[in-house]
Amino acid sequence: MPSRLVSFINVLRSHDVRISPAETLDAVQVITTLGYEDRGQLRSGLSLALAKTAEEKVTFNRCFDQFFSYQLPESAEREAANSEEAVDSIPGADPAELEAAEAALQQMDGEGAETRLDLEGELAGDAALAGELDLPIMDMLRNDDRNALALAIARAGDAAGLPEIQMFTQKGQFTRRILDELGEAHIRSAIVELENRGSDALGELQGYRDRLRELVRDHVEREYLLHAQGRNQQFMDDVLAKARLSHIEHHYLHRVQDLVRRMAKKLAARHSRRRKVTKRGQLNMAKTLRRGIAHEGVLFNLYWKSTKKQRPQILAVCDVSGSVSAYAKFLLMFLYSLYDVLPRVRSFAFSNRLGEVSELFDQHTVEKAVELVNWQYGGATDYGASLMDFAQLALDDIDSQTTVIILGDARNNNGDPRLDVMQSIYARARQVIWLNPESRPMWGSGDSEMPRYLSCCHFAAECSSLAHLERIVDRLLRSAH
Amino acid sequence: MNTLDFPQLASAADIKAGFEQHGYICSEEIATAVFLACQLRKPILVEGPPGVGKTELAKTTAKLLELPLIRLQCYEGLDEAKALYEWKYGKQLLYTQVLKEKLGDLLQGAKGLAESVDRLHHFGDIFYSEDFLEPRPLLKAMHESEGSILLIDEVDKSDYEFESLLLEILSDYQVSIPEIGTVKAKSSPVVFLTSNNTRDISDALKRRCLHLYIPFPTTDLEERIVRSRVPDVDEGLREQIVNFVHSLRQLDLKKVPAISETIDWARSLLLLHAEQLDEATVRSTLNVLLKFQDDIEATEPELRSLLSPPKSGLAGGA
Repeated sequence: MPSRLVSFINVLRSHDVRISPAETLDAVQVITTLGYEDRGQLRSGLSLALAKTAEEKVTFNRCFDQFFSYQLPESAEREAANSEEAVDSIPGADPAELEAAEAALQQMDGEGAETRLDLEGELAGDAALAGELDLPIMDMLRNDDRNALALAIARAGDAAGLPEIQMFTQKGQFTRRILDELGEAHIRSAIVELENRGSDALGELQGYRDRLRELVRDHVEREYLLHAQGRNQQFMDDVLAKARLSHIEHHYLHRVQDLVRRMAKKLAARHSRRRKVTKRGQLNMAKTLRRGIAHEGVLFNLYWKSTKKQRPQILAVCDVSGSVSAYAKFLLMFLYSLYDVLPRVRSFAFSNRLGEVSELFDQHTVEKAVELVNWQYGGATDYGASLMDFAQLALDDIDSQTTVIILGDARNNNGDPRLDVMQSIYARARQVIWLNPESRPMWGSGDSEMPRYLSCCHFAAECSSLAHLERIVDRLLRSAH
Repeated sequence: MNTLDFPQLASAADIKAGFEQHGYICSEEIATAVFLACQLRKPILVEGPPGVGKTELAKTTAKLLELPLIRLQCYEGLDEAKALYEWKYGKQLLYTQVLKEKLGDLLQGAKGLAESVDRLHHFGDIFYSEDFLEPRPLLKAMHESEGSILLIDEVDKSDYEFESLLLEILSDYQVSIPEIGTVKAKSSPVVFLTSNNTRDISDALKRRCLHLYIPFPTTDLEERIVRSRVPDVDEGLREQIVNFVHSLRQLDLKKVPAISETIDWARSLLLLHAEQLDEATVRSTLNVLLKFQDDIEATEPELRSLLSPPKSGLAGGA
């Protein structure tokens, strides 16, 4: 079981449930304590040890049911029973017709019994053929032992490396490998042999072969859904994270938003512990006493517990003109998803004029607010005028705990860049970060004012994909505190 | 010595039955969680919406095992001086005074500074010792020799620093006091942590705990809970109450009514001698269920439609 548990945990991990080795050990303990008798109890027990948020619990339950489904042959039987019932209750079916069908079925069963005898006879008469078919899997097929079959197929699947399956194109290949593992080649050659002889037992053996193939195919399909789906999603996420944000098709936007939210959550978890909460000044008795001992216990030197008050403020200034708006959207989405860690974010949008848009984000969801911002402030860019507006609105609020992030391509349509305003921002702020969606070699070409603005930035970076954004926000969080 | 000896803890089913005797109706999952927590000696982190009986679970466990319940209510700014231990400064001060007076006797006949210091070293130092230690809830739980139930309530309200403080207690059931050393629990307590999910608890803390999520109960379970808590309400009304609350939970409200509100409501209806739910009664008692004026205003126009489906459900069920 431990190996099954480990592969189950791998499945959970591929579905974004975070499980540490210590938790794996807990799960083993849970299993030894609870035993396997009560499936429901085992499920809730494992869920206690492995899934640690409400969302993870949902994922866990889904994966548990999928993963352990084929190990319960009773459920298959129940399904079979259900399908029989379904046959019985076909609406509008003529009872007489049903009876006839049933009779036909019974007749088929009878024929099956006869052919079974054929195969027995054939095997008894031919030692070579009997040797060929002397396989454990044949016994299981002939006795219709579903438990043993499921187990044998699962084992063969593990031996063939089925949990590593990545792409749907590999399904055929894995089916083949498992069949080989089970010794299907022998059955095939026996079929050829019987065909040559024109034996009556041919039909039965072919039936066994088809059943085996079907079972294996089902197993591969199930494992593919279980293992590859999660992995494919991760792969997709990787691709999206590295793609240029302006090139992401509309179709994938909701996935990207999801990804941003998850990345932001990860960053928040990593940095949240650094946030200091302000505390009232309290007398630190222990320290005061200790100092007092040196003066015969007279406490004339008081010590106070104090925690540094840290309130980082972030001002995000985003160019939302046509060329850059896609990037602004994701930056804002990122910043506002980080509310837990960065409670003081103000945002400004500009193209030819600039305005504060923080309120939009208070009133609407991030996605909706971003749309509104684009709609209100889109147009041709004028960095000079926009910087002036920004200075008027916010320069007085910029202090040594303020980080100013400017996102834009610095293409000023040959206007005045107003470096003097930029310098006054630079002088007051804790840091000024410029994010440019263009790649570095393009900076300064044509009407780009980037090299001149660079002199007024603590840090400038290319930022064209989610992966870039994540790295920059990570850096921002580290330095803002 | 350890919690395994309790016959009440023999299996999850026993725990469930025991809880029911104490008026706490729970799902299979909750019982399994308590069972595993006691068997594996791991803390349980209980999450879920407010009012589903997270704190009650710890209290009932204490009643079931007849162990003392030690409760630590978390809040912003809670620190080790309030959670773990504090020195008895007043007594320490007096001690230094006493020491000063005794100093003459102690050092009598000592020649030179070196010998005096040497004698001082041989003199037992009790300034930082257990005698002057004021135990706070966490340390108290370590001291209980018969075992105890430690309830760390609303851990999400505390600061991140405090979470790190808990890690040592949760994984090894011990507390480090720099001046004294490590205090190990005489008998490992059963620890419950509750969280209302106002913020994410750190991974380090979650890793050390079993994680139990208590959702709102199913109608069936909630009916049993109401029956156990307010036994005088008759069956028809009870069913109506629970169905109504369940349909309320489907609405988009600021604060959804929890089990505790259902129970309060059932009690109020009992006091008002309500035979069955009608629009007027519900309207006048809605403030028991909903705690925001906005919510009440949003619900009032819907009352008629909210009240009719349970009735048709009743008719269908009968």
